[in-house]
Amino acid sequence: MRFVLGVSIPLGLLLSLSFKTSLLSVLARTIVLGLIAMLVFGLFEQWPKQVPRWLARWVIQVAGVAVSIPLTAWAIYAWFMTAPGAPPFWHDQDNVSGFLTFSILGVLLAPWMALGALVRQKEALARHQALSFSLERSELERQALDARLHLLQAQVAPHFLFNTLANVQALVDAGSPQASALLRSLIAYLRAAVPRLHESATTLGQELELVKAYLELMHMRIPDRLQFGLHIDEAARPLRCPPLSVLTLVENAVRHGIDPSEEGGRIDITVQRRGDRCLVRVSDTGVGLMKSGNGLGTGLATLRERLKLAFGGDARLNIGTQQPRGVYAELDIPACEVTT
Amino acid sequence: MPTALIADDEPLLREALRSQLARAWPELEVIAEARNGRDAIKQFEAKQPEICFLDVQMPGLSGLDAARHIGREAHLVFVTAYDKYAVRAFAQGVLDYLVKPVEPERLADTVARLRERLRTAQPALNSEALLRELAAQLEQRASPSPLRWIRAQVGQNVRLIPVDDIDYLRSDAKYTLIAWHDDAGKVGEALISMTLKELIVQLDPACFAQVHRSTVVNLRAISHVARGDHETASVHLKGRTDVLPVSRSYLHVFRQM
Repeated sequence: MRFVLGVSIPLGLLLSLSFKTSLLSVLARTIVLGLIAMLVFGLFEQWPKQVPRWLARWVIQVAGVAVSIPLTAWAIYAWFMTAPGAPPFWHDQDNVSGFLTFSILGVLLAPWMALGALVRQKEALARHQALSFSLERSELERQALDARLHLLQAQVAPHFLFNTLANVQALVDAGSPQASALLRSLIAYLRAAVPRLHESATTLGQELELVKAYLELMHMRIPDRLQFGLHIDEAARPLRCPPLSVLTLVENAVRHGIDPSEEGGRIDITVQRRGDRCLVRVSDTGVGLMKSGNGLGTGLATLRERLKLAFGGDARLNIGTQQPRGVYAELDIPACEVTT
Repeated sequence: MPTALIADDEPLLREALRSQLARAWPELEVIAEARNGRDAIKQFEAKQPEICFLDVQMPGLSGLDAARHIGREAHLVFVTAYDKYAVRAFAQGVLDYLVKPVEPERLADTVARLRERLRTAQPALNSEALLRELAAQLEQRASPSPLRWIRAQVGQNVRLIPVDDIDYLRSDAKYTLIAWHDDAGKVGEALISMTLKELIVQLDPACFAQVHRSTVVNLRAISHVARGDHETASVHLKGRTDVLPVSRSYLHVFRQM
């Protein structure tokens, strides 16, 4: 609309210079021509609903605009420019030249304007699409982040918590002195696990306390099936370590190695500081890996992601089977001290 | 006097259930305890208790496996840890179940039902069909997500390779060759004794695409696709010199990109 008026008004002003009639009348004629052409353009944009395959819609639109100009000009001159009772306009020299000027100029200009409008429409569409794409992408990124957060928050699995509480209850009911030891480990575990979800980095020392509390809990629950040992290089304790990273490996060892095994097994955790690297090895003597590694999904996958975020690709996580049985997980991270 | 078996892999919980039962049903005699599914079957056969309390998650054979073995020869009560999937699966069925930690009221209800059934000499509820249905319910959530790790032979060792780190997979008779890179970007090859066909169905179709009868490529590992003559193309990978041919019938994979 703005586009059509913007072209027809200056054009009308230009034409009025060479016309004998009033400026306003010429201006009105150009604007009417322009608006009719725009209507035709819009009409063919919607109608017919189905365009034959060999004919592009834009061709119909441009052709429609081109044809509409002389027809409209004819109509204007036949009805409005001719006084009632006067001879038809084609007997009037001025009117004929006016009609021809409008028609020829219109036919020359209008299709170009139509093409211009088409290009503008296309550009707007592309801009709109690009915008909605980037919107969709940021939405996806947000969802991924949300998912990660949910996963982190779900780390303290209700399954684990309720089973442990069932044990606490059993000990309390039996009046066992072990009850308070179990409760102490559970509290240590929860205290370490819950607030750390929101921290980006903790020390390896803190992480190992959490791991120890967890293993003590599990040992009390299945004393006949789980033994464990911690072999820790004291120099590694102040090093930076993403929260829940070692715990994820230990939980996996319990869940996928020890828990499915009737005889159970042993979990050993070795931490060594070697120059500017730190090695954490979690090995178990459980049932080993299932054929396709199924079930080991989300915990380890998020751990890898968190390691990437924390160390920018400078951390390595290797998992494999060991002889004669069981699985090892090796975490190789840069040794940097936490600065507070 | 009615007799019972308790199966749970956690000794403290066996003990707890035993003492809770002693309060809720003093006449019941617990004649056997088992620490896994296999043990439960053995004890059941040796002592023939009328009622079995079976923990669902036990190592080796699960409580459900033991239940299928015992069938209708005893009244079964499943004991499950709190887990919303498990609880939902049980709640949908008619079988008796308890959720750990066991609440005294809930146990009292169960005991009342069991007493009634024993008194009127009703057959056990646990038909093969009901157990099968329950097993199907419990397994439903077992593998909903695509594969994330692949266990593969690398030289002498077996390694777990993250699926994201795989560049491409190529079928090699009965094996599948896995071309991957480690966290440091070092490339490697590994073999897995599964056919490509078996693997494809487990991979995330949004990341992996088949480009040839014997090749599946990780779309994120592709650096570019070069078009050749006569409707052919070849895939070039990031950080690798290998070039993978795209066969005609898989060209459509790249056409929409």
